[in-house]
Parts: sequence; structure tokens; C-alpha cells
Amino acid sequence: MSPTVYAPSHHGETTRQWPIEDHRGLYAMYTVIATELSLFICLFASYYYLGNNKDRWAIDRPPKLHFALIMLAVLLSSSAVLRWGELQVKRARYRSARIAISLTVAIGLVFLLLQGFEYKEHWKTLTPWSDSYGSIFYVITSFHAAHVIMGILLLAYVAVLPQYGPTVAPPYRPYQTVALYWHFVDLVWIFIVALLYVVPNMQAH
Amino acid sequence: MASATAEQRLTTLWERPHTIYGWLATVDHKDLGIRYLFTAFCFLLVGGLEALAMRIQLARADHNFLTPEMYDQIFSMHGITMIFWYAAPILSGFSVYLVPLMIGARDMAFPRLNAFTYWTYLFSGILLYVAPAIGQAPHAGWFSYVPYTDVRYSPGLGMDFYALSLIFLTISTTGGASNFIVTILRLRAPGMAISRMPLFLYSTLTISFVILFALPALTVACVFLELDRRWGTHFFDIVAGGIPTLWQQLFWFFGHPWVYIIFLPATGMISLIIPVFSRRPIVGYPYVAVSTILTGVVGFSVWLHHMFTVGMSDLAMSFFSAGSMTISLFTTVTVFAWIATLWKGRPVPTTSMYFALGSVALLVIGGLSGVFTGIIPVDWQAHNTYYVVAHIHYVLIGSNLFPVFAGFYYWLPKMTGRMMSERLGKWSFWIMFVGFNVGFFPMHIVGLLGMPRRIYTYGSGLGLQPMNEVMTVGAFVLGIGILISMINLMISVRSGKLAGKNPWNSDGLEWETDSPPQSYATVHIPTVTTRHPLWDDHDEEADPEDDRLLDEARLTLTTSWLDARPLSVATMPGDTLLPLISAATMFGIFCFLIFQLLWPALALTAATLVMFGIWMWPKPMKGEL
Repeated sequence: MSPTVYAPSHHGETTRQWPIEDHRGLYAMYTVIATELSLFICLFASYYYLGNNKDRWAIDRPPKLHFALIMLAVLLSSSAVLRWGELQVKRARYRSARIAISLTVAIGLVFLLLQGFEYKEHWKTLTPWSDSYGSIFYVITSFHAAHVIMGILLLAYVAVLPQYGPTVAPPYRPYQTVALYWHFVDLVWIFIVALLYVVPNMQAH
Repeated sequence: MASATAEQRLTTLWERPHTIYGWLATVDHKDLGIRYLFTAFCFLLVGGLEALAMRIQLARADHNFLTPEMYDQIFSMHGITMIFWYAAPILSGFSVYLVPLMIGARDMAFPRLNAFTYWTYLFSGILLYVAPAIGQAPHAGWFSYVPYTDVRYSPGLGMDFYALSLIFLTISTTGGASNFIVTILRLRAPGMAISRMPLFLYSTLTISFVILFALPALTVACVFLELDRRWGTHFFDIVAGGIPTLWQQLFWFFGHPWVYIIFLPATGMISLIIPVFSRRPIVGYPYVAVSTILTGVVGFSVWLHHMFTVGMSDLAMSFFSAGSMTISLFTTVTVFAWIATLWKGRPVPTTSMYFALGSVALLVIGGLSGVFTGIIPVDWQAHNTYYVVAHIHYVLIGSNLFPVFAGFYYWLPKMTGRMMSERLGKWSFWIMFVGFNVGFFPMHIVGLLGMPRRIYTYGSGLGLQPMNEVMTVGAFVLGIGILISMINLMISVRSGKLAGKNPWNSDGLEWETDSPPQSYATVHIPTVTTRHPLWDDHDEEADPEDDRLLDEARLTLTTSWLDARPLSVATMPGDTLLPLISAATMFGIFCFLIFQLLWPALALTAATLVMFGIWMWPKPMKGEL
């Protein structure tokens, strides 16, 4: 190895050249996202496997689009707000960052509310007990909703994390880490809207 | 140079209290690794006793030692225990103990997660064994095909225990995989570039990624099964549009990569042991490393070969048949690298080497019968016969049990500080090797003669009894061989010779530490300049400025993932009971779910989340910073 220049250090004084900081949490979040991605891929694959060669499937009764699209807009706006918050953290504007993350939590709750309305309307024609289509439809969307709930809890947790001095556990990494998770949950909803809502509506005609 | 005070400071920082609290709250990877090994070995013994019960039943035609129902439960528990609660966790045990020492880190990247994954592993195993304790064990084999496992054909709670304890276990395994990935990519000693990593780390890293991508399929399958059984959905119910083979697709998409998860780390151990006892570096290091990674990748494109008899398009069958044969190429590269290493080296006949070489022999036999079953017409003939049972046992015992014993004889002196008896070890090896072959080789023949697997008995007119008697004797001999090694360990712990730092004159960084290692491993974080740190002239711990002493708090060094340049100092958590408590509340969640008590389960979920919240809350650290 090429040795770095070692700054002289004495016990009690942390003047070494390496900062006390690391990306472990962020890396762990990437592994969590990888495995969650695989989870949703399995669910989507099950959706298509079950729908293969079916005489009655989503095409006969495509789910209504309006709620899903509004929810998509809501979720995407939450990601935008959170992204702005991340930039605030980088510039050490922690107050605006906390406001941004709280706002994201609020928008996430609106999403869940809309999901409730969507389910209520959908329930009239389709339940998880109707047939295999109903089962997989509700499992995919409720798995996503569970991830939204988890995301909201994580964001709310980081929103109230105490801010320590600049060297020990600054809120920067946790913020970045949970934001990454939230963007991922967003991304999954884009795929759900495309595969479970838009495609059946396009094929229906 | 290390001063006595530095060692004392490090000990105060890292040593856990020697009390019951300290025992339960420890996050030390050395404690946890040994617990993993011990727990997994207990599961091996339980699964082994189940196997012996089956062999007694099968020793006679039309035997009545076990009822058909008991036989179904015992062969299912045997498979589930061995595949899920022994084979992978015992390798995790080696990895948890060895990975931080091999990379010169003071602990895993997430020590508390490490404790949490151990406790969840233990509790999920306890959950599984509640099932036979209340007389309702799973009874559909380790892969539990629907519709047989549907609630109509399998009433009772057995399959619910199966589904939920497996979901519980996937949480543990996924957490462990995440931990290994971050540990190996971020905490390697300065200079241990990715091209200098011990091959065992390549295996661990590869299977950790495989776990991330393969395990969700099992989770999804088990969720579907449980929802179908108890909550009225129709995933597998043909009448309402479900498809039973959906279970098979999901299960094997997980299941075949899992075979590599319990196989690759074991080959990684052999790739360390054979060179050390051949007294030379391994031949073809980069080829072995790349083969390891490719095995993990191609392992995702072979799963349909478990389903050739289900009925599918010729294209799919050809593709997966080709995939199954391609994957044997990578193992072949590794095996030839081992043989070349032996050929070019000066082999030392230690017990560990015996087990490593025995494993290579068994692996080759098992691999070849795997190539046969990868050929579609042969597979149709051999499907669900004892031929397949012979194949899986040659592969799994050859690539898991024998390497694990090689690993025990190689690394236990590091863990206990005392040598094991070579004489008893070699007796144990030969008895196990002969017992295994006597017990399992005839299965190829009875399988080709048409003896089906998973049937509790066979007719007396079929002429199968003599070979079954031989197999039963072989199985017991194998058990005696294992027993001898256990006695060997007990004697060694009491009165074995002291091992010293590096009894085998090995090359890896783990041999730089004391035997057993200090709680902080090495006084200075080592630096590495070659693939064989202890065989070169470089002094790993040379650190005149005390820069890599890191004795202000629980600290370790993080480095860049590719070339291991030092980047920053990472803080490490202290001992805590939270992993144990949150694993226990999770155990409660799954218990309630088995009995469909939704509200108590939700309440405990909330409690678990609160635990996690307390866990992650920033707190002042032990030491001064």
C-alpha cells in the first residue's frame, strides 16, 4: 500500500488525518433496497405467471386509473420535497431540512389516505377473496403500502433525531439513508401504476 | 510498538463483562460466531438423529418402527433442519467468527445487527421445533409442494409452522448477508485490495449477494402459502384461477441459488486449507475467484431443472438443461485449481487436509451425478427416486459437512487456543468417510432400480432389503465418526496442547491474533501488501506513530472497497440487550401469527419497532472522543 502521511497524534486529542465518519448505513440501505427490489420483482413475476393464459384477468376489468395517477403525483411530489431537503442538509441548513422531511411525512400520509379511498372503491368489485387476480392485486398494493408506512416511520424518526456536534453522528447520513429508501418506495409505485393500472387499461380496448 | 497500557486500554474498551448480562448483551463477533457454530451443530445432531430413525425404519421391508405419518414428519423435519438451520448457519458461524479477523477489522460492520441475526436464527429454529413438540410437525418435505400443503390436504398447524418459521429465518439470513457485504467491502485492512482478499471472502461476498436476490422468492412463496391456508386467498387454488406450480417456480428460484449458498463458502474454506497444507499459494487464484462469482450469478438460471417433469416448453427445458451443465464448469475450474495446488505443492497430511481431500472426492461424485440429472431424459427416469437422494447427499455432505469438519480441525485451535488430537481426528475421518459411502452410494443403485424417495417402506418382494440394510449400517457408522470428533473436541478443550498464534504456519491475517484472539483482535489495525500477509516479509502491525491503534473508543478503520485505501474511522457500538429483546418480540409476532391472532401480533410489531427506535438513537460512546 502507499502509506498516507500520518499526522502526529496524542491520546485524547483526535488530530489524526482520518475523519470519524463513514458510509456504513448508506451501504446497508443499498443492500436493503436490493433485496426489496427482488421482493417486488417476485411479486410482479407472480402477477404475470398467474395471469398467463387466463380467460378472465385484469383486461376484463382494468382498475380505474384516476386514483392511481393522483397518488403517483402525490408520491413524486414528496420525493421532490425530500430531495430539496437533502440539499439543505448538505448546506447545513438543518431547520429547512427538518421542515422538508416533516412535509414529506405529511404527503406520505396523504398518499395512504388516498390508498384507503382507492381500496374502498375497488372493494365493491374486487376483493382478495374474489379470485387469484384479486389476491395478487391486493398483496402487491398492500405490500407497497406497508413499505410506505415503514418509510413514513423512518422519515419521522430522522426528523426528530437530535443534532449532535459536527463530528459525532451528524444527521447528514441518516437523512441521506432514509431518503434513499423513500425514493425507492416511490419508484416501486411507478412500476405498480404502469404494470397493474396503465397496461390493463391500454389492453382493454 | 504496542505498550502494555495500549493493550489494557483496548481490553477495557472491547472486553464484555463476564456476567450473565455480558453473556446476553455481547455483540462480539467471536462470541456470536461460536454460538452460531454451536447452535448449528446442535441442529446437525438433531437432524442426524432424525435421519437415523428413518434408516431404522427402512432397514427392513414392511417395517413398523415408524408409522407413515411419523415417517413423513421425520423426513420433513430432517430436510428442513439440515438445509435451513444447519447447512447455511454453520457457514455463517465460520464467517461471523473469521471474516473480521481475516480482514483485520475489530468487529463486523454492524455488531448489534450481528447479535440480532444470531438471536433471530436461534428463535426461528425454536419456533420450528415447537411444531413437533405439539405433535403437528410439517410433513411435506423441505420443499412443501402445493396443493398437498393446502389447508384441505394438510389441516393442522404443521405447514403454518413451516411457512412462518422460514419467513422468520429469512429476516435473520438477509440481515447477515447485508452485514457481510458492508463488512467485506468497507472494513478490510489498508492494502487488502480486492485482488488480495482470501478466497473465502469471495465466497462469503458472493453468497451474500445471492441471498439478497434469492431469499425474497422464498418469503413471497411462504407468504402466499400462509395467506392461502389461513386468510382465504387463491394463489394456488386452480378453481379460483390460482396455479400450483407458482409455488414451485418461486421456491426453486430461491432453492437452487440456496444450494450455492450452502456450497460456496465451504469451497472457499477448502481453497484456504489445501494451499496451507500444500505449502504453496493456490494455483489460479483469479480463476477460482471469478468462478466463485460466476457460480453465484449462473446459479440463478438453473432452477427449472428441479421441475423438468412438471411439463414446460422444449425451449425452457433446453435453456435450463444447458444452464445446469454450464454451472458445473465453474466448479470444475475450482477443483482443478485444488488438484494443481496439491500437485505443485508438498502436501502435509493433517486431519484438516484429509477432510478437505475427502470432500473433493465426494464432491466430484456428487457433481457427476448432478450432470446426469441435468440431462432431461435421465432426469425423467431418476426423478423422485433414491438416485436424487444420493445426488443431494453426495453434494451436500461432500461440499458442506466434510469442509465444515476440515474447517473445525483447521480453525478450532484458533477459537479454543488448544490443538485437537490428530490421531483421533484421522480415525474420525476414515470412519465418517467409509460410513458415508457405505450409507449413501447404494442409494444410486436402489434409485435406478426404482425405489421412490419419501415412501415410508417398501415391499418385501422387491429385493431392496439387503442394500437398505447396508445403508442403515453405513449411516450409523457415519454417526459414530461424528461422535469421535466431538469427543476429540471435548478432550482438546480440557487438555489439548496450547496452539500458539499460528500452529499451521498459515498465511491469513486471522493467524496474526492470539489463540483465542483478544477481544480487540490486534493492537494495531494491520496493513497488507500481498495475498499472503503472514508468508511475506512485511510487518503487518508496524505502526510507529500509533495511527492505527485507535484506542480512544470502540473504533475501527474503514477503507475504500476496491483498493482498500484508508478513508475514515468508524465508531462501533457497545454491548446491548436490544438485539436479544427485539428478536424475542419478533418471536412473539410469529407465534401469534401461527395462531392467526392478528391484533397481538400487531401490538408486538409496534413494540419491536420501538426497540429498533431505541437501538438506533444516537448515544454517547464508551471511551473518550
